[in-house]
Amino acid sequence: MLRSFPRLDTELHSYRLENGLQVLINPRPGFTKTLAYFATSYGSVHNQFTLDGQTHRVPAGIAHFLEHKLFELPNMDVTARLSALGAHVNAFTSYDMTAYYVLCTGHFYESLKLLLEFVSTPYFPEESVKRELGIIDQEIGMHADSLDSRVFENLMKAMYRDFPIRLPILGTSDSIREITPENLTLCHRAFYDPSNMVLSIVGDVDPEQVLSVVRNVLGTENRVAGKKCRGETEPAACFQSRILDKMEISMPTFLLGFKWGNLDSARESIRLEVIGDLAAEALFGESSQLYLELYDQGIIDGSFGGGFELADDQAMLICGGDSDDPQAVFDAVLAQAEKLAQTGIPETAFLRMKRSALGRRIRDLDSFDSTCFRLCAYALSDFDYFAFPEIYDSVTREDVRQFLLALTDRDRWSISVIEPL
Amino acid sequence: MIQTLFLAPGITLRGCTDGRFKQSVLSIQFIRPMCREEAAQNALIPAVLLRGCEAYPDLRAITARLDDLYGAGLSALVRRIGDYQTTGLSCAFIADRFAMAGDQILVPMVQLLRQLFLEPVRQADGFSEAFVESEKKNLISTLEAERNDKRAYAGAQLLRTMCQKDSFGIPRLGTIESVAAIEPVSLMTHYQKILKESPVEIFYAGSAQISQVADALMPLFSGMERCYVNLPAQTAFQDAPTQPLRTEELEVAQAKLCMGFVTPITNRHKDFAAMQVFNSLFGSGQSCKLFQTVREKLSLCYSIGSGYYSAKGIVTVSAGIDSRNMEKTRDQILALLQDCREGRITEEELEAAKLSLISSLRTVHDSPGAIEGYYASAALSGLSLTPEAYIAAIEAVTAQAVAEAAGTVQLHTTYFLKEVGSC
Repeated sequence: MLRSFPRLDTELHSYRLENGLQVLINPRPGFTKTLAYFATSYGSVHNQFTLDGQTHRVPAGIAHFLEHKLFELPNMDVTARLSALGAHVNAFTSYDMTAYYVLCTGHFYESLKLLLEFVSTPYFPEESVKRELGIIDQEIGMHADSLDSRVFENLMKAMYRDFPIRLPILGTSDSIREITPENLTLCHRAFYDPSNMVLSIVGDVDPEQVLSVVRNVLGTENRVAGKKCRGETEPAACFQSRILDKMEISMPTFLLGFKWGNLDSARESIRLEVIGDLAAEALFGESSQLYLELYDQGIIDGSFGGGFELADDQAMLICGGDSDDPQAVFDAVLAQAEKLAQTGIPETAFLRMKRSALGRRIRDLDSFDSTCFRLCAYALSDFDYFAFPEIYDSVTREDVRQFLLALTDRDRWSISVIEPL
Repeated sequence: MIQTLFLAPGITLRGCTDGRFKQSVLSIQFIRPMCREEAAQNALIPAVLLRGCEAYPDLRAITARLDDLYGAGLSALVRRIGDYQTTGLSCAFIADRFAMAGDQILVPMVQLLRQLFLEPVRQADGFSEAFVESEKKNLISTLEAERNDKRAYAGAQLLRTMCQKDSFGIPRLGTIESVAAIEPVSLMTHYQKILKESPVEIFYAGSAQISQVADALMPLFSGMERCYVNLPAQTAFQDAPTQPLRTEELEVAQAKLCMGFVTPITNRHKDFAAMQVFNSLFGSGQSCKLFQTVREKLSLCYSIGSGYYSAKGIVTVSAGIDSRNMEKTRDQILALLQDCREGRITEEELEAAKLSLISSLRTVHDSPGAIEGYYASAALSGLSLTPEAYIAAIEAVTAQAVAEAAGTVQLHTTYFLKEVGSC
């Protein structure tokens, strides 16, 4: 099906194939490059699931380990083959998604075929799984020295008591040693079925040819995928209000997190994301009273920022940066949320914020990467990304005020601070 | 295609009109020599300009104006391009067709730039004291925060150790001491000198005609009293005695090995394309020798790669490793370089390296940011090739030429950052 989005001056072909795969194609006539994302709705938090009537619990870090290992095919060096086609290939694992992508300036259909082949083929020789441990150990080491990762991971540990977002995406040096060819194969079978996946393409391609490649490689069978399950019910309040750590850094860094809670529907989550981003802008964005005051006082600097985040069905509002006095920023953000929840946002300021947010999203469409990623991520939540202008139209000042009102609940906030040694 | 217009002596507008994009980018860079005396001042000026002007006297007023212009982005631009440092502003804004009927973005955007550049908030004969002090503090924090990112820190320490006599050893944003010494009045004096004497490079990519952009820019430059001073040409690496191996200890989980090499081949050299292919084949991307051997075969690291600073003729290699594997990793890197020198290069490696470079050059015209990034730097760094001519030069590179280019690459300095107390 082809739809036009005149407000964005763009179009989208979308299909749901017999095997359950969603295919989205955003045509870009006249452009040289083509980007394809092949993604599964499976990330590091999905470490408990049922498959064929049995419940499984798998080691932390396995989704990411699997992402590394899928680049191997029997008797073929996938990276070398794609390089020989001039394609650039890579992948990433997040809390709730694993995505593989190729960027091409030619030989697109051949590259797409290889991408679909290596992602859909489980091949995990024992020796190669062992060799990967050394590489991922070094990735964990690099991560341990990364300030941004540490302050964020600590915040997740403080906010969530049970939700596996508490655990690092990479796992730990111990947990990855529990990974075997058997449990890799199990996870692949549970989550790499086309019915759990999306293929999104941005570029000047022929949709019929794309569909033909997809059907040839992935077949038409719609198999049963794994069903994600969650252990305990996550409480509304944060697990800990504060978490402190030290690193070899120059000045304190912090993140504040507000635990919104779990969302019932995907549709609700997209609308909430727009409301949350507008509330964040009104509360502490660069055009806010609070930002100006704290910046003028030297309590925050240009590193300060934040917004609404979603991981699986959990929503949160996060902000942070470098500051000599993180507690002062925390107190000021809460006080300002209380004030704005009472007074609301003036109509002119609200319209200006909406216009600005829409403009930034339109500009962002020039980025193939961002567009391809968002098409994928939103499709996994059953939502058309290009419908965002209508969402902005429907959001009211009262929606934003209600969001700000929720932010006044102190028990749902945590602060993560990293201080210099 | 790129059009070039000379708006006034020393003021060049380059740009391309392309209706495919949803946004336009416009950058205005004043070109300075990279030197210790002014690096910090040049880095501070755009930050101070972005704090306020007569019409929009504080951050909030500027941001509100940008919001009115449909969420336009505006940021400081401080680049190192070979021996030059650029200082200026860069902005991105939606194409007029997305605005409400009758609204224009390009003209008011350029007007805002004029106000920021020419009508900053003044105090006596200088910039606003409060703005200068606050941005000094921020810049000092940024400089201090360099060591928060261990990979970037190790790379910078290598270049500082290696380039004692070369401008590449000068920190791009200056030093903490030189920032601390800046006064609002002397900064204004320096800024006035920049406005008067510096060559200016303006770059535009977007849907407007270049003549329209030139017209919009006239009020910005017509009021300036100019006495333009030409800059010396770019130079190759200037050698000076150095420590061949420098080791530093910090509280880190992972060690960083950084190796600095020099080559007489810069982007002004006839063998430039062969040198680029060498770098790609040796250490760039996933099919390169370093990645395939040091990471995939030997599992010594997660991240490894090489970089070629083409304006200078410097090649660096960096890897995040376990400190116990330092010698082993270093020897492997050198052995792989030796393989290149001796022509142990497969047809597949050569083709993959060339295709990877060609692919990225072919995509330059697909994004306004990439177009700006390529052309706004190429001319200044001394590279005279369009992406198309550059692609043709790469296509012609042979394995023999790569081996010869590799033969010119000599190890100069090694920097090793390791955890405190490790062996």
